[in-house]
Amino acid sequence: MSTAEPLLEVEDLTTTFSTDDGELMAVDGIDFSVDSGETVCIVGESGSGKTVATESITRIVKSPPGHVEGSVRFKGQDLLEMSEPELRDIRGYEIAHIFQNPQEAMNHCYTVGWQIMEALQIHRDVSNEEARAKAVDLLDKVGIANASSRFDDHPHEFSGGQKQRVMIAMALVGDPDLLIADEPTTALDVTVQAQILRLLDDLQEEFDMGILFVTHDLGVVAEIADRIIVMYAGKVMERGGVLDIFDHPAHPYTQQLLNCLPDIGGNTGGIPGKLPDPHDPPDGCRFAARCDHTIDACRTGQQPEEVEVNPGQKASCVYYRPAHDDSVIRDGIQNTEPDTTEVGSADD
Amino acid sequence: MATKKPERFDQVDWSELSESGRLDLSINSIGMVITSLPVVLLGLYDWRFIGDRTDTFEFIGLSRNLESLDYFFIFTLLLFFFYLILPLAQNPRMTKYYWKEFKRNRPAVVSLGWLLIVFAGGLLGPLVISAPEQDILIGHQPPVFLSVDAANVANCVGDIVGGQCQGTWEYPLGTTRGGKSVFTSIIYGMTISMQIAFITTTIVAAIGISFGTVSAYAGGWVDEVLMRFVDIILSFPTLLMFLLILYIYGAGLGMFILVFSLFAWGGTARYVRSKSLSVSEEEYIKASRISGASTYRVVRKHVVPNTASSIITQLTLLIPGFLLAEAQLAFLGLGDSNIPSWGQLISAGRSDLAFAPWIVLAPGIVLFLTILAFNFLGDALLDALNPEAEAESE
Amino acid sequence: MGLGRYITARVAWAAVVSLIIVTITFVLLAAAPNPSIREAATQAALQGGDPAAAAERERELRGLNEPLHVRYLDFLQSVYTLDWGWSQHRSQPVTEALWEGLYYTAQYSIPWTILTVILGPIVGVYSAANMYSWKDHAATGFAFFGYAIPNFFFGIILLLIFGVWLDVIPVVYDTSVPLFSLDNVIQLIIPVFVLVTGSIGATMRVSRNESAEFQNSDFMKTAKAKGVSPLRAYAYHVMRPTLVPLSTTLVGQLLALFLGSSLLVEVVFGIPGLGRLTFDALVAQDTNLVLGATLVFTFIAVVGNLVEDLVFTILDPRISYDDR
Repeated sequence: MSTAEPLLEVEDLTTTFSTDDGELMAVDGIDFSVDSGETVCIVGESGSGKTVATESITRIVKSPPGHVEGSVRFKGQDLLEMSEPELRDIRGYEIAHIFQNPQEAMNHCYTVGWQIMEALQIHRDVSNEEARAKAVDLLDKVGIANASSRFDDHPHEFSGGQKQRVMIAMALVGDPDLLIADEPTTALDVTVQAQILRLLDDLQEEFDMGILFVTHDLGVVAEIADRIIVMYAGKVMERGGVLDIFDHPAHPYTQQLLNCLPDIGGNTGGIPGKLPDPHDPPDGCRFAARCDHTIDACRTGQQPEEVEVNPGQKASCVYYRPAHDDSVIRDGIQNTEPDTTEVGSADD
Repeated sequence: MATKKPERFDQVDWSELSESGRLDLSINSIGMVITSLPVVLLGLYDWRFIGDRTDTFEFIGLSRNLESLDYFFIFTLLLFFFYLILPLAQNPRMTKYYWKEFKRNRPAVVSLGWLLIVFAGGLLGPLVISAPEQDILIGHQPPVFLSVDAANVANCVGDIVGGQCQGTWEYPLGTTRGGKSVFTSIIYGMTISMQIAFITTTIVAAIGISFGTVSAYAGGWVDEVLMRFVDIILSFPTLLMFLLILYIYGAGLGMFILVFSLFAWGGTARYVRSKSLSVSEEEYIKASRISGASTYRVVRKHVVPNTASSIITQLTLLIPGFLLAEAQLAFLGLGDSNIPSWGQLISAGRSDLAFAPWIVLAPGIVLFLTILAFNFLGDALLDALNPEAEAESE
Repeated sequence: MGLGRYITARVAWAAVVSLIIVTITFVLLAAAPNPSIREAATQAALQGGDPAAAAERERELRGLNEPLHVRYLDFLQSVYTLDWGWSQHRSQPVTEALWEGLYYTAQYSIPWTILTVILGPIVGVYSAANMYSWKDHAATGFAFFGYAIPNFFFGIILLLIFGVWLDVIPVVYDTSVPLFSLDNVIQLIIPVFVLVTGSIGATMRVSRNESAEFQNSDFMKTAKAKGVSPLRAYAYHVMRPTLVPLSTTLVGQLLALFLGSSLLVEVVFGIPGLGRLTFDALVAQDTNLVLGATLVFTFIAVVGNLVEDLVFTILDPRISYDDR
């Protein structure tokens, strides 16, 4: 990992939506960074704001009603300061997206080849022949057999896994520096999922891309992540290296998440309770209402500041403040430790 | 998330299923049979025992005659009451829900109000107002509050102020060249419009639903043949065929209603077929089939209720087409000249347009508003009965 | 390729439909007393001749004594060889009369159709892009107004306002005006406007409702993430899929309006096109011409439906050709 300025540096990113019921705060002042060649996973349950956070980076959130604030520095430029046309040059070329549902993510009226060529030709003035050659090349690269003949097929003629491969090919047209992958494997079955993850891994090496990977599936995280950011209700709860977090999750929320993994915790019922109302988030820690260790200090003021619990691992929990006894929380870690090391080590 | 599931009106009614096989008539059907019986008897009496020129109700001293179309109209009104209005009253919860959804669309509420006025006017108007009468002496009277140059009016009924003939309340919308009250003519035209609306929709619904369900449940070549037939019906130039029939045989309002409704049910049949096919795939239908419900029962208890809302919407949107077609034909002078329809009135006023525009404008605007109201209503029903679409669009 | 077979099958089916409609026409004609026979009999009676003999002569002349199936085959043959007979009222062959009518009908139908097909989807998609704003409400209001106001009524009113009161357009259609001239544009503006208002509403509504779904689709998000500009995204990624469902209703809508309104609009504005021709033939009891006009409109309807189906199949890549 480079020690210079990171590829992507997000600071105080806040995304709100104006709705009939008032302002909805989907992402509430989060920071994170991604380096070249590194995979950062944002994890959290549905509705925690992870997707909105990634879509805010290149401002593809629907706006209005969406409104993005903060700073997103990408290769030294602030994307949020840029005008729409300037940003469009970056979207799909330097920062590419792939999405959760490959079935719906391609326009059913056009051939896959057309859609890949479109991605290329809106950015660079290349002839149709060149664009076609490049598109076939990319299809080949992502593992579509008979790429040149399948070029003229429509999306409905591809399987779900193949569609996601095509989406990846489309994302690669500009040799992007950053790939934002929003639950790209969730809609696929397990074997296909593994293939896609392996493909992403190979491509990352080849293109030296940073990958920002959104998922709620910790099994996937274990396989692909270098670093993890745990989000809950628009806030970052914990962050750190994948091994650290799997081995000794510091935040009660992370601990509970890990407990939900079927082959680890045995608590398959999920975390009881539901996300706080995003129109009117509670004082103090967002997770307080569902946490087993809640004390009065959890319910006042702001979300606690992130405290470094281990080198490179930070958690946003009052227990890690100097005044509190964090052994209660640290004890919770022990239960999960033996199994998690196993899962963690599966990642190469 | 709401924890309580809304009541579904398509749930399997096990108590009903257990008694399937017996001929069980609902209160609606009983009411329908009881009330339509006298109508049928009266119709038979009219047909067999009274001369063409005698009024139907002469035996009780009323000088009112009923045509065969009137019998049909009464019959459809009864159907409408027992199978649409009464069920709504029997299911207050569902009604309340639909009303709540419907109410949000204000133009549609206004439209419903207007249609109720037209409906009431068409139904009751002829009973309380005597038919417009020709009186050449009072032709071209202006509407009330308006005035025209007295030179254009042969015999001004109201006051003449400064050479201007003033309109009177006696003829609120003025009179035609022949001295017929435009207002009264419009009221009588409402009857015609309502007859067209009710009778055509009944025929369309009856044929469309039968064709659709038979096609869906028979399957195989029967389905194929029936659907090809629907194709032909749908690509049939109805207006032209009607013109041809009119040309060869001559045609009145009855023939108009028959021809137009016989060629309008294609869309309904297609819709009912596809809906029946998808409904019969649903788990609860499979469950009720396993427990021995007959096809007829499945159709009546599940397919029809599930498709009813969409069919009603479709029919609502068909009606304006019929009204327009009638008006167009009447305007061309090819309509039934024995009936006082709005189109006839527009047609009659056309030559006097320059100095007596109310003869065209009044029925034209009424026709426009009625067609508009049906469209708004259909649009609102589409939204109210399709909560998914609504949620998506918001 | 399945497409070729599908097109062949669909064209064959269109031929079958046209045959069925022609057959129904024949049945209608055959089952009725022929007006020309009655006329011949009346003529004979008026001139002191023998009505029965005259009727018989007329029957002989028209081949009505032949067996039904021979008459049917004759009828089919003449219909499909365009041997449509002589128009008494116009004193010219029926096909020639229809051809002349078509010349005038095309003059307003072509601009009207083009305007509807181009403006309808654009306004509809624009309306959906600004859904629930005042622009959308204005477009919706216009759409409802357009298809609720009877064309002939609207035509009369506009003619009254612009022709009689303001005197900016001619009240009587002038056939001597050259095809491409300002005068011709002026006299066709109101008929075209009336027809466009009538037809554009439905097109707009369908495009609006159908495109709403595509605007919020995942592939629009993909397009945005690819760096596609909003204008291009609407033009390619919203408009294109909207055309698929639109194609299933558009042709039908236009045809229905064409058949109904060309008659009315031509009568109101005095344009001597196909509709006016049909109307005059009906009034003048010119059987051959009535029949000819019916056939023309029928064929237009059949071909229109055929085109609609083919366009739909070609537009939607997901449809399988065997399955229909």
